[in-house]
Amino acid sequence: MSTSAQIRDVTFTVPERWYRLERQSLIAGVAGAILCIIAAIVSPEHFLRGYLVAYMDWLALTLGSLAIICLIHVTTAQWGFAVRRILEAAARNISLLTLLFIPIAVGMTRLYPWAHPGADRDFLTHLQRPYLNPGMWILRAVLYFATWNISAWALSRWSWLQDSPPDHAYRRRFQNFAAAAIVMWGWTMTFASVDWMMSLDNHWRSTIYGFYVMAGQGLSGFAFVIIAAVLLWRYRPISEYLTITHLHDMGKLMFAFLILWAYQAFSQGLIYWAANLKDEVNWYVNRTTGGWWWVGIAIILLHFFVPFFLLLSQDLKRDTGKLIVLAAWMLVMRWVDLYWLIIPNFPDTKGHFTISWSALAATIGIGGLWIYAFLVNLKAHPLVPRHDPMIYRVIEAQEHGH
Amino acid sequence: MAEHEEHIDEMSSHLAPAGPAILAPGHTFATITDKISAVVLSRDTPAAWLLATGGFGLLMMWLLFATAYQLARGIGIWGVNIPVAWGFAIVNFVWWIGIGHAGTLISAILLLLKQKWRNSINRFAEAMTLFAVMCAGYYPVMHLGRPWLAYWLFPYPNTMGVWPQFRSALVWDVFAVSTYFTVSLIFWYQGLIPDLATLRDRSQSKAGRIIYGILAMGWRGSARHWKRYDSSYRLLAGLATPLVVSVHTVVSFDFAIAVVPGWHTSIFPPYFVAGAIYSGFAMVLVLAIPIRRIYGLDDFITTKHLDNCAKLMLATGEIVAYGYIIESFMAWYSGNLYERYMILDRMGGKYSIFYICLISINVFFVQVLWIRRIRRSPALLFLVSVIVLAAMWLERFVIVVQSLHADFLPSSWAMYYPTFWDITQFLGTIGLFAFGMLMFIRFLPMISIFEIRELLPEAHVSLQEVD
Repeated sequence: MSTSAQIRDVTFTVPERWYRLERQSLIAGVAGAILCIIAAIVSPEHFLRGYLVAYMDWLALTLGSLAIICLIHVTTAQWGFAVRRILEAAARNISLLTLLFIPIAVGMTRLYPWAHPGADRDFLTHLQRPYLNPGMWILRAVLYFATWNISAWALSRWSWLQDSPPDHAYRRRFQNFAAAAIVMWGWTMTFASVDWMMSLDNHWRSTIYGFYVMAGQGLSGFAFVIIAAVLLWRYRPISEYLTITHLHDMGKLMFAFLILWAYQAFSQGLIYWAANLKDEVNWYVNRTTGGWWWVGIAIILLHFFVPFFLLLSQDLKRDTGKLIVLAAWMLVMRWVDLYWLIIPNFPDTKGHFTISWSALAATIGIGGLWIYAFLVNLKAHPLVPRHDPMIYRVIEAQEHGH
Repeated sequence: MAEHEEHIDEMSSHLAPAGPAILAPGHTFATITDKISAVVLSRDTPAAWLLATGGFGLLMMWLLFATAYQLARGIGIWGVNIPVAWGFAIVNFVWWIGIGHAGTLISAILLLLKQKWRNSINRFAEAMTLFAVMCAGYYPVMHLGRPWLAYWLFPYPNTMGVWPQFRSALVWDVFAVSTYFTVSLIFWYQGLIPDLATLRDRSQSKAGRIIYGILAMGWRGSARHWKRYDSSYRLLAGLATPLVVSVHTVVSFDFAIAVVPGWHTSIFPPYFVAGAIYSGFAMVLVLAIPIRRIYGLDDFITTKHLDNCAKLMLATGEIVAYGYIIESFMAWYSGNLYERYMILDRMGGKYSIFYICLISINVFFVQVLWIRRIRRSPALLFLVSVIVLAAMWLERFVIVVQSLHADFLPSSWAMYYPTFWDITQFLGTIGLFAFGMLMFIRFLPMISIFEIRELLPEAHVSLQEVD
């Protein structure tokens, strides 16, 4: 009974449907891009706001995936074996998002109040100048993207080395690098969330904001990987290595990130509500009046309470059909939450609910390109790392039915 | 069968890289039971135990004396005054309750995450939680000034028509801490039951058989017992899990919902929870390293355990460091005069030496835990843990005292100095904690016998055959 004989077929034949999906997503991407261009011509301000929502939404999937890869390596998690390549393909989309950041950088002066000409007349902006100035902002963005690109590509490249023997050379390297990468993600994403989202209203600040955005990214990442894993489950080699227990574990982790996200949202809300300081509660006033109230209520109920009670059920986490619907729902609600965070920052939308069509167009546009790039990335390499030693543990667990 | 084991060996050689196991090789069900129960039943009490019990017992006696003195004289014997009305009492409360958190994390969350290595350290980590919560609970009650009226904090229908202020975080504390203590106690006790039955069956003395027999509540170890035991244990773990987060979150609200610069910041809940677990693991290591040495329990508490605890300490330490840095950054970014002053005063004011110490330890020094050799060296790890415990105490001191001593109104600024009673009462609670732990390791199995037995491969083969 030798171990090598037990390793099941890892070859993957790209199904016809894959190409169809590639075509469709590319079409969606191009159509979205055309709509975005029209929107940008009609009203650059409104286009940029919507674009930022869409951008942060897809960035969450990308960086969430990166963080989950690190989590898998640091904890040597079994459930991660069969889905790691999916996550790696998603994380490498950071290169695409680096390019797609250009409109935000170009439109900086239209989006951010501190970047407006003459913003220095505001005393607070004047005080914040050493940090909030266009040069530093661009420099920091370069650093963030460099960090994320290096992390995603390094983890992918070492992973590809595992397509051929030897079996156990990379474990420690992965572990050390992933631990450092997760710390780097924490720092870069914190300041990126300040730069790109929080500073849309530079009179407001919250120390938990970075954690809050990152918890949302983790949640998006798990929702995405659950969807991708369930869809790929009918094909080899995912079908050989992914078990319902793994899916159950991912469901639990999605649940954990949902709770973490809600915990941070609640903590910030309670602390600001109790202190009731003008500088701080304004942020909530802007988001709970003039129609935004209903968005807030929807987030509390549909983003937290309903999924929370559903995810308590073990049966639901082990039912692929239901879990994938819930994961898709989580992605929709992540978008709503980002919309609620970003849009009410602007003078004409503070306390005044509006539907931003450009946000929808940009979400479809970036999303189409993102999914297209993801599919191309994913099929370029085998779907499981054949020589990752974890393969033995996965097989052993399957044979003994835990 | 042999083929099967060979196959497992071969696979684990692929999997587990060089590194210690969570249970030393060569053990059987019998040797595990013998070795752990012998500490309680048959081995001679080590001289170190007698010495420590004597010393810490004296400290505990001092606490009793200081408490009596305080009841007679009031909290005027402490150094607290306006503006620093929360001195050592709250510093120590937060420090002690934080320490308890590692116990609950190990027993509940790591159980649900199927982390088998927890089986060797959960029992004494849970005991540590209980004694730490007792030390913590002592302070807010004494701080009331009239502790005999402490029951007024509970909402009960009364003729005075007085209700607690439910919007005060201090009332939330009452519920958080009392729930925490209750659940921890039940969880710990339920975990003990099968082992108490083992002690009952093995005890040579009549008193031992009677006492352990009563405590074991008629445990016979039947399949039905085990089935129910397992489901209720998991249920309790599920209930205890939110408590790991909720208790210190509520403690952080004590500060954060106020408007005092240095207290009022939204990062406090996750940052406090991380700090609690960080200091808790430091305490676990401070206890585990000497215990395994003195009682020769290296087989059960291996360097793998030390390594894992150190890694968790490092991970939570990073979050704590994040908290300090974000807090300072946002104080600057806010442009708020008071917030900016508070941070500058922390860094360069009259209490700056404490801030500098805690930052150098919790932000910089703790990074030595990235080095594998330090994580696996008991002596060095012990040293790091003691330093971390001291730094976490300083952190609470800075948060409580420095933030209060210079608030919005410069005319009311004043320094806080602890009195003789402040300092010795704190030492007294250390005595209480250590004395409790010493009693526990002498009279109860400090390592879970039945859960260690579950680590043996034999325990799993039988399960597979049942399938």
